[in-house]
Amino acid sequence: MSHKWVDIAKAEFLVLTARFRRHRLAIIGLLFVIGIVWAVYLAPLLVELVMNALSPIIPVQGLLMLMFPELMRAVMMLMWTFILFSSLSQALQEIKIGQWEIFLANNVRTRDILIGTFLARVPICGLSTLFFAPPLLAPFLLTYKVSLIGQLMIYGVLVLTMLITVWLSNFLSAAVQAKLGSSPRGNSIAKAIAILLSFILILPVIGLQLFAQQFAAVMGLNLFVVFPFTWSADLISWLAIVFNGINLTAHQIGVFQSILQFDILTNTLFIVVFGCICVGIALATTDRVFTYSLGPRMETITTITHENFLYRFIRRITPNAFGALVVTSFKDFFRKPQNLARVALGLMLSLLLPVIVILAYGQRYTLELSSVIPITGFGLAFTGVLVFSGVAFLESRDQLWIIQSAPYGTSRFVKARLATAFLIAVPLSIIPTASLTVITNLSLIHFFGLLAYGYLLICSAVILGTGITALGPNYEDMKSPGYTRNLMISMMLCLVSTMMVPLLLGMVTRRILGVSLTNLMLAIGIPEEISTAIMPASILLVLGVVLLLVGTWKLGRPHT
Amino acid sequence: MMNNSLCIKTEGLEKAFGSVQAVRKLDLEVEVGSRFGFLGPNGAGKTTTVRILSGLLKQTNGTGTVCGYDISTQRDEIKAATGLLPETPGLFSKLSAVEFLEFIGALNGRNGDKLHLRIDKLLAILGLEGRQDDLLESYSSGMKQKVLIASTLLHDPQLVFLDEPTSRLDPAASALVKELILILAEETGTSFFICSHITSFVEGVCDIIGIINEGQLVIRGSPQQIIEVTKTRNLEEAYLEIIGGKVDRQALLTWRSV
Repeated sequence: MSHKWVDIAKAEFLVLTARFRRHRLAIIGLLFVIGIVWAVYLAPLLVELVMNALSPIIPVQGLLMLMFPELMRAVMMLMWTFILFSSLSQALQEIKIGQWEIFLANNVRTRDILIGTFLARVPICGLSTLFFAPPLLAPFLLTYKVSLIGQLMIYGVLVLTMLITVWLSNFLSAAVQAKLGSSPRGNSIAKAIAILLSFILILPVIGLQLFAQQFAAVMGLNLFVVFPFTWSADLISWLAIVFNGINLTAHQIGVFQSILQFDILTNTLFIVVFGCICVGIALATTDRVFTYSLGPRMETITTITHENFLYRFIRRITPNAFGALVVTSFKDFFRKPQNLARVALGLMLSLLLPVIVILAYGQRYTLELSSVIPITGFGLAFTGVLVFSGVAFLESRDQLWIIQSAPYGTSRFVKARLATAFLIAVPLSIIPTASLTVITNLSLIHFFGLLAYGYLLICSAVILGTGITALGPNYEDMKSPGYTRNLMISMMLCLVSTMMVPLLLGMVTRRILGVSLTNLMLAIGIPEEISTAIMPASILLVLGVVLLLVGTWKLGRPHT
Repeated sequence: MMNNSLCIKTEGLEKAFGSVQAVRKLDLEVEVGSRFGFLGPNGAGKTTTVRILSGLLKQTNGTGTVCGYDISTQRDEIKAATGLLPETPGLFSKLSAVEFLEFIGALNGRNGDKLHLRIDKLLAILGLEGRQDDLLESYSSGMKQKVLIASTLLHDPQLVFLDEPTSRLDPAASALVKELILILAEETGTSFFICSHITSFVEGVCDIIGIINEGQLVIRGSPQQIIEVTKTRNLEEAYLEIIGGKVDRQALLTWRSV
C-alpha cells in the first residue's frame, strides 16, 4: 500500500525549502546541527554572560525567581502565538485550493493531505523552536540550575507543545482556506486576515518588552488556566522546580503551587488530552474541511452604483485627467481588504503611540515638546511605512505593461498613488497628535505644530516607501521576497534617517565644534523644538524624494 | 528619411536576453492602413517584437520607426500614437470595466463626458453593457479580453498592436473582433499589427502576413502569396510547411509502452 501522505509531505517540504534548492537536505541538516549546538551550549552561555553583566544593575535572578511561573506562561504564550499565527498568517497569504484539486483528482484521501502537510512543516517549525526557545528558557534553567534530566524533559514538553500547535495551525489553515475558497474576494479577505494576525503576533512581543511586570501579573490570573500554553508553561515550571539544583524550600514550592493551580500530572494529562482531541477532531472532520466550495458569499458579484462624497469632491477640485486617476487609485486601494487591514493597523499603532511615548518618558503628564518630538516622529514615520510601504501598487507585471504603454503612464500613475496616500495620511497623523496633545497638556499652537510635523513625516515615509517599491516592484504577493525586501528596506531607512542620522550628526558637531547640534541651532536662532523636528523630517524627505525620482524613472524606462 | 506610407519600418532589429537570441536581424515594413498578421510558434519572438515596437522594451541592436517616430528616442510619442493589447490581461481586479477604462483614458490624458460616452459605446459594441459596473474580478477571461480590447482602442490610436487578441474569446466574440478590426481599418485607416497562433483568424483578417521562427522573419506576403509559394491548400498547411510541425501519429502512443 502506498503512503500518499509521505509523497505529499515530501512535495510540501520541497516547496517550503525551495530557496535552498539542490542543497536543501545538507542545509537543513547543517541548520539542525547549528541549532543543537546553539540550544545546548551557545544560548545558555550567552544568556549567562548577559545575566552576569546585568546582575550588578538589575537583580535578574531575583526577578526571575519572583515571577517565574507567570513569566514562563508569558514566554510560552509568545511561542504558542508565534507558531500558531505565523503559520496561519503565511497560509492565508497563499490560498492553495488549486493544489487540493490536484490531490483530490488523484484519489488522495483527505487525511493524507492533512498528515502530509503537517509533517512537511514540522522540520521548519522545529528549527524555529530550536533557535528561539533556548534564549527564552535559558534564564529560568540557569536560575534554577535545572539538572540535565530536567532540561531534557522540559525540551520534550516544548517539542510536544510545538507538534500540537503545528497540527492545530495546519488544520485551522486548511479550514479557513476552504471557507474562503479560491475566489479573488476570498484571496483578498485571506490577505487582510493575514495582516491583522501578524499584528496579533507582535502584540505579546511589545507586551513583554514594555510591560514585562504587568504582563506577568496578568498571566498569573486564574483565567489563563484554560489556555493550552498555560498547561505547557506550568508543566515546564514544575519540571524546573522538581529538578532544581538550588534546593528550593517547601515554603517556596508552596508559593509556586498556589500560582500554578494544577500539579504536574494534571498538566501533563491536559496537554495529552488536548493533543488527542486536536488530532481526533481534525481526522474526523477532514472530509468536511477539504470539501471546498466558492460559496455564495465568495461568489458575490460587486456592482458599483454611485460615487461617494470624497470621490465627487476630488473630481470637483481637480476636474482633469489627474483627478480621475486619483479617484480610480482611491477605489483600487480601498476596495482591497488587505489595504483596509493595513490602514486599520496604522490607526491602531497610531493610537498606541501616545502610550509608548508616556512609557518612554515615564508617567509624567507634563512633557516638554522637545522630548515628545523624536519618538513621535519615528512612530509616525514607522506607521506611514507600515501602511504604504511594500504595498504592491501593481497586481501583476502585465498591469505594469499596460501602464507603461501609455505616454508618461508610470509617472502619472505614481503621482496619483502618492496623492491618494497623502490623503489617507491625514487621519493617520491627526489621531496620535491629538491624543498626545490631550495626554501631555500641550497648547493648541503646539498641537498644530506637532500635527504638521507628523503629517510631513508620514508623507515623507510614504514617498520613501513608494520610491523603494517603484525601484523594485512587488506584485500583490505578501509572501514574495520583493514584498519583504521593500518593507524591510523602508523600515530600516526610516529608522536610520529619523533616529540614527540626527544622533550621529549631533555627535559629529559635538566632537568637531565642541557644541551640541541643538545649541548650534539655537545660536543661529532656531528654537530647540524646531531643530529637533526639522532634522529627521528633512533627512527622510530628501532621501524619499531622491528614491522616488530614481524609482519612477526606473519604472518608466523601457525594459532591457 | 521617414516614409509616410509606412507605419512600421525596422532594420536589423535584434533582441537578446542573455544567451537567448529572441529576435534576429528583423527587417520589417508595414504599410499605413494595413492589417499585418505576425505568425509564429511559441517563443518565436512575436511578443518581444511587439514590445520593442510599442516602446516597452529596448532592442539590443538595429533601428526602426513606428508611426514615424524613432523606437530608440521617441517612445512616449509612439505610445501616444499606438494602442497595445498585451498577451496576458493585467486588469485591476477591484475596478469595474467603466472605471478601468476611465483609468486607461486618464493615463492617456483624457477625461470628461466625451471619454465616458466613448467607454459606454465601446462596451455596448463588445456586449458588456449589462456588466459594465461589476468589478472585473468577477469577469470571465473572455470578458476581460473584451475590456482590454476596448482599452486598446479607447484613445483612437493610429496603429494597434494586438497580441493574441482572440486566444480567450469564444467563436462569436472572435467574429465580432474580426469585424471590428476590418471596419476600423476600412473606415478610419487604422493600422493593425496582429500576433496570433490562430491561422484561420489571421487568414480572415490580415492582408499581409509575416511568419517568424526562432527570431527571424521567414516569409512575408499576402495569405494567397504564401499559400502559392508553399504549394499548400490553406494558411494552416502553409504555416506547418514553413515552421515544421507534421505529426508522427505512431510516436504519439510510445509513452504508454514504457
